[in-house]
Amino acid sequence: MSGEDLILDVADLWVAFPSYRAAPVHALKGVDLQIAPGAMIGLVGESGSGKTTLARAIMGLVPPPGVVERGRVLFAGKDLRRMDAEARRHLLGREIAMVIPNPRAELNPVIPVGRQIANVVFHHLGVSRKEATGVALDMLRAVRIPDPERRLNAYPHELSGGMAQRVVIAIALACSPKLVISDDATSGLDVTVQAQVLDLLRSMVQEKGAATLFITRDVAITAHFCTRIAVIYAGQLVEMADTRAFFARPAHPYSIMLLAAFSHNPALRARWTRAAGEIADAAGEGCAFAQRCVRRQPRCLTDIPTLRAIAPGHLARCHYPVEERQ
Amino acid sequence: MPILRYIGRRVLFVIPQLFGIILVSFFLVKLIPGDPAVMMLGPTASTQSIAELRDKLGLSKPLITQFGRYLHDVARGDLGTSWQTTRPVTEDLFQRFPATLELITLGLLVALAIGFPLGVAAARRRRGPIRKFADYYGLLAGALPDFWLALVLIYVFYTALGWIPAPLGRIDMAVVPPPTVTGSLVIDSLIAGNLAALASSLGHLLLPVLTLGLINAGPILKMTQSTVERTLSSDFIRYAEMCGLPRRVVLRQAVRAALPSVLTIVSVLYGFLIGGAVLVEIVFSWGGAGQYAVQGVLNADVNPVLGFVVFSAVLSLVIYLVVDLLYFALDPRMRG
Repeated sequence: MSGEDLILDVADLWVAFPSYRAAPVHALKGVDLQIAPGAMIGLVGESGSGKTTLARAIMGLVPPPGVVERGRVLFAGKDLRRMDAEARRHLLGREIAMVIPNPRAELNPVIPVGRQIANVVFHHLGVSRKEATGVALDMLRAVRIPDPERRLNAYPHELSGGMAQRVVIAIALACSPKLVISDDATSGLDVTVQAQVLDLLRSMVQEKGAATLFITRDVAITAHFCTRIAVIYAGQLVEMADTRAFFARPAHPYSIMLLAAFSHNPALRARWTRAAGEIADAAGEGCAFAQRCVRRQPRCLTDIPTLRAIAPGHLARCHYPVEERQ
Repeated sequence: MPILRYIGRRVLFVIPQLFGIILVSFFLVKLIPGDPAVMMLGPTASTQSIAELRDKLGLSKPLITQFGRYLHDVARGDLGTSWQTTRPVTEDLFQRFPATLELITLGLLVALAIGFPLGVAAARRRRGPIRKFADYYGLLAGALPDFWLALVLIYVFYTALGWIPAPLGRIDMAVVPPPTVTGSLVIDSLIAGNLAALASSLGHLLLPVLTLGLINAGPILKMTQSTVERTLSSDFIRYAEMCGLPRRVVLRQAVRAALPSVLTIVSVLYGFLIGGAVLVEIVFSWGGAGQYAVQGVLNADVNPVLGFVVFSAVLSLVIYLVVDLLYFALDPRMRG
């Protein structure tokens, strides 16, 4: 697929956080990621792996003092990094929308939620305040919030977590964006509510035809949700494959470790996880995962592996990708 | 109506609060050495006449009896008489409190007008001339004594430039003051339509108000700056940025979120300045309530001191009640 057709084309993206009297810490080390229109990509990784930094870097909002060192972010063919801040701001919320994890802290506590939805519509779509409020009401209805007319005037603290999450989804989809980035959007919810909200999010993005970058720590969620899965570890993508292939034949030991961690098979988990005592502190010259890898070979500590195709459409960053089924 | 119930409860609490305040201040004032009878009669008085006066004033009775009598009088609205002015303290205070309130209210408005915008502007940038200026200003305003600044302003604008009237009192001796309605000369002049009095009282207000404004802008500036800075990096502002809201809208939301903190510092300053503006009052011969209380302390005139304490306490309680109601208006989370 050519770059023109992609909704999002991230190439060799590096993000550094300067640290006092030491070499800068790299939160992203050369990430490549392509998203086709309407696709749903799952991005899986543990905390600190760079998931959120990637989302923020795409939007051009890396938290200070972090800086994007190099790389390219093309959104629908437009270079977001070369765009001036004002032009990029017009894309955020309208074409690139964010679904956040902790809505009761991230929605403005002193503005009624209806106003918050209407605000985004008003500032992006150039409609009147009244029309924007109408859209807000429609969106509250669309995200199936009971009694939407009354909820329009509710403040965030008056809503349950699941309800607030629906409001955030309503804000994200109010302007019919082309790309929705969901950052750990359901991690704060009860499991049952989580499933409802996920289903809602999926049906809403499908209805609007938006592409989705679905960032999560929970690899199990991506199985139902995504067409393609990328695994990120220490600021690098370590595996990327279509969902079916990924779950059938995960190739990177880290991916398998993640899958094993969510499985109910203690033996599998034990086989793919190194005990904490065996993990060395310093990452060496070689593979970033080598210290925690159960299949480590001498070469892994000296040579840096590249992300390479091990099957059509299936990429892994490993010298010795796992071939057998688990 | 939860708000009405809240106000009712607060007003009910005023009574025990006032009792505590009077209790503490009564005994503290009594601890100050100095015998009013001696002061009143002068150094040549005989021991016998002093003893007679002490008996008349009730000073020879035990302290607790004196306290009981004082409480009894206060409950009936009688704060006693000042032997210096020979007038009822209540009357004196009703004359002087408006002078102080007019001064500190306008002073704080000026302080807000300087400190708040400067604080917001400084919070927006971590570097640059505005931030530098705000930093130095905060330091200077915190370090300079207000009476010193008052003297400098008098020197510059009265002595050297001659732009303002002599810093003596609230209005020119030659100008007929308007009939008292509110006690604020500005408002009363407006009510009476007396332009000469209005001009004169504004001219006299200018420097003391500027003094209080310039000094008290410091803490307001610091509080505004740190709160806006914190809200600008808060979760909901970050989310507003992610939603692509225009910069001015995001800034407005951050400033809006900082308002309760600014309100807090203003209310604290207001309560403090009722007595704390006394040095400025003295420099400008203002004749305000603080000056009255200090005169009382210096001359063992107990009733004005206690009366001032009671007045300021009631006023502070009213201010804090108003502030709490404003919190209700500003933050929907308080209304629950």
